[in-house]
Amino acid sequence: MSNDILEEHIQGDYKYGFTTNIETDTFAKGLNEDVVRALSKKKNEPEWLLEYRLKAFRFWKNLPEPEQWAHITYPKINFQDISYYSAPKVKPEIKSLDEVDPELLKTFEKLGISLEEQKRLTGVQSNIAVDAVFDSVSVKTTFRETLAEKGVIFCSFSEAVQEHPELIKKYMSMVVPATDNYYAALNSAVFSDGSFCYIPKGVRCPMELSTYFRINASGTGQFERTLIVADEDSYVSYLEGCTAPQRDENQLHAAVVEIIAHKGAEVKYSTVQNWYPGDKDGKGGIYNFVTKRGICLEENSKISWTQVETGSAITWKYPSVILKGDNSVGEFYSVAVTNNKQEADTGTKMIHIGKNTRSTIISKGISAGFSNNSYRGLVQIRKGAKNARNFSQCDSLLMGDKCGAHTFPYIEIKDKSAIVEHEATTSKIGEDQLFYCKQRGIETEKAVALIVNGYCKEVLNKLPMEFAVEAQKLLAVSLEGSVG
Amino acid sequence: MIAEKSQTAQKIIDSISASAQKVNFISGNEVEEAFTYLENKGIPNAKHEEYKYCNFDGILKKEFKNFYQKFTEVAASEIKKYKLNEAINLVVLNGNYNEALSDKIIVKGITIKNLQNFSGNNLTPIASIAKSNTDAFVAFSNAFSGNGIYLEVENANVIPMPVQIIYVNCALEDSWVSPRSFVHLQKNAELTLTERFVNIGKAKVFSNFLSEKLIEENAKLISYTIQQEGSLTYSVNTNQVHLKSNSVYDNTTITLSGQVVRNNHHAVLIGENSVAHLNGLFFTGGTQLVDNHTLMDHQVPNCESNELYKGVVNDKSTGVFNGKIFVRKDAQKTNAFQSSKNILLSDDGAINAKPQLEIYANDVKCSHGTSTGKIDDAALFYLKARGIGDASAKKLLLRAFANEVIDKIEIESLKEEIETELNTSF
Repeated sequence: MSNDILEEHIQGDYKYGFTTNIETDTFAKGLNEDVVRALSKKKNEPEWLLEYRLKAFRFWKNLPEPEQWAHITYPKINFQDISYYSAPKVKPEIKSLDEVDPELLKTFEKLGISLEEQKRLTGVQSNIAVDAVFDSVSVKTTFRETLAEKGVIFCSFSEAVQEHPELIKKYMSMVVPATDNYYAALNSAVFSDGSFCYIPKGVRCPMELSTYFRINASGTGQFERTLIVADEDSYVSYLEGCTAPQRDENQLHAAVVEIIAHKGAEVKYSTVQNWYPGDKDGKGGIYNFVTKRGICLEENSKISWTQVETGSAITWKYPSVILKGDNSVGEFYSVAVTNNKQEADTGTKMIHIGKNTRSTIISKGISAGFSNNSYRGLVQIRKGAKNARNFSQCDSLLMGDKCGAHTFPYIEIKDKSAIVEHEATTSKIGEDQLFYCKQRGIETEKAVALIVNGYCKEVLNKLPMEFAVEAQKLLAVSLEGSVG
Repeated sequence: MIAEKSQTAQKIIDSISASAQKVNFISGNEVEEAFTYLENKGIPNAKHEEYKYCNFDGILKKEFKNFYQKFTEVAASEIKKYKLNEAINLVVLNGNYNEALSDKIIVKGITIKNLQNFSGNNLTPIASIAKSNTDAFVAFSNAFSGNGIYLEVENANVIPMPVQIIYVNCALEDSWVSPRSFVHLQKNAELTLTERFVNIGKAKVFSNFLSEKLIEENAKLISYTIQQEGSLTYSVNTNQVHLKSNSVYDNTTITLSGQVVRNNHHAVLIGENSVAHLNGLFFTGGTQLVDNHTLMDHQVPNCESNELYKGVVNDKSTGVFNGKIFVRKDAQKTNAFQSSKNILLSDDGAINAKPQLEIYANDVKCSHGTSTGKIDDAALFYLKARGIGDASAKKLLLRAFANEVIDKIEIESLKEEIETELNTSF
């Protein structure tokens, strides 16, 4: 197959590479207890939260940097060379979109998020409420009032700390303790902002909730925190999408996402991640070390993760579900694309504790260029998890002979009534498939897009409509012209 | 942490080196390297990725306070029942090749030596495949190997009858043994080899077995590994196989007993068009731990590998399967398949599986599948509805499950023996 086309793709530039010139309020680089205190003070946080941060910081400080057990390699990160706070200098209280910095709005427009359009469409069904995170501070939350009518709380994490401290205190760190791992501890110490979402009992959230993360200021790490609580018999579909402007130095992103599903609740969390992956020589790009975990706390609850990962130089991410309640369901649908020198080590953990719990894992990896793409997942059936059921399928598609695709599933079963299946395949795009398309007048590039889309269909189908379109576009851009 | 790890290794070295014979059939460098490795890395514990489910540091600390290295002689009558009538039977006793207990070689084309025949030989083949710096137990073997067996089949010789090597351990007090073999098939040679492991003593044994197998162009090695060492044996069994072009390696490992059995089976496909098959079957009960670790290392294009591992886990025992298919950068047109199926019979047992694919070439077909479950209720119902009792129905289904692997055995008497053994153990 034509290497020229592949080369052409490899040389393709990052299409979302632009920076916004906005005055930012940034901390000097470095990390110590004073920085944590200053951060907490700046956000006017209660004493207990400062204590929490400090505890996490002290724990983190004494941890050795994790060994590189994952199938990724990156230079040592200098945590003292990062600024831990960067907020756009905008008026503190924003009541309407007009008050938002027009530069900022333009940025969002370029990304296709268009807050203004959102605004205009208020009242029309199937709208998306956007909590826009620009660098570390949540700038604007749209549709908040519409949501408030239903009792849904959807706001920035800092606001939630001020307005709903009891909820934050109750749920924060419930699934991801500050001591969970190196990057979770770091996040717990220095998280700057994020989103908080609470769906009250019996409420079906009337619209898709969405946050848009974007790393902007150079040399600033982003440490956001998302907390989603779905009370009994509620439903919410939550979207998170990211693009980041082109930067030369590596930027660190260590987020924490926690989901708590009460009795009968369902949470659907979808991500499209397209941060700057570095140029074709692997220079620059985002380091994405994220801890995402949900717990099905009580019976009949359900958590579903769907992710389309095309960006970041290094991805280290395992959205997991703890199936504690009886009859609870966990799902993980993932498409991970790596190109050039990108490295991704991603997968999931399904921990079955309750009876009759079910989990499904569908992972589709696509590697091109010089990249390495790994699936790493754990399916654990604890003792007493009667009639647990898991099905996992991990497929890898290789484009070009310089990339790697790997599968590392861990399966641990301690109950005899469990049924666990795992299958994985690795292959390239079939010559026969390509031939079939070309014979019918479809040119190579379109044929590849068609085949890849078909290959990922199972996962893309799980995305909300609005997102699926963007994801498909992203996939096409990411693999433009790359023929296996 | 590191200091603590090498402590266990140091303790073992101290207690076994006094009575160990000097290993002079392995190059001095390798032996030196072995000690360096053990000093630095020690015995792996559960934090070691490759020994995640098999914490040898813990096992050795708990089960072996000391190695007394006291063995007894064995009479021919004691091992008679392990011999195969249609085969040439060779005996390695407590790690050393024992000519008196072995059959005479009555066919042309086979050369048997003990390892010490290579003493001082600069070109010694021993440890040319198994390198000290790869694994603690390889290092231990290189440092303390017994005077094991070297088996060579000469050019273009097709050996008409199977050869069986019986590794017999018989200790008076807790001991460490290091049986070792090197099997060399010259070009166009063919051999069917059975390696059987037994412990007939009354004391605990830690058996650190290592075998290197070199299969030259167009040669074919069919091999069976029968493990029946009983509850007093803790073992690590390392097989490192190199396949040259157009060669075939076909192994079936049946684990019938052993308190802790760890199998490290590596097939390295270094010549084009070579084919490797690894099959395994284990039945565990009590508090046994059986850990099968395989590696299919595809280094060159156009090779094929197949793996089928099946396990039945009962009582408080644990079964582990960890298989890796490794396709190197230039190994295009590789076909590699792996399948692991397990049945868990008890609530106190555990099955851990980690099938891995690590692939750096694009024009390949690789897949793995693993499943774990209970005995199929529908199948059980079908049999019971036809008047077959619960126990017999289960037995029948388990036999059917096991037969897929047992059927790979082509030595009739051996196959019958395994079948009888399994019938009694259900």
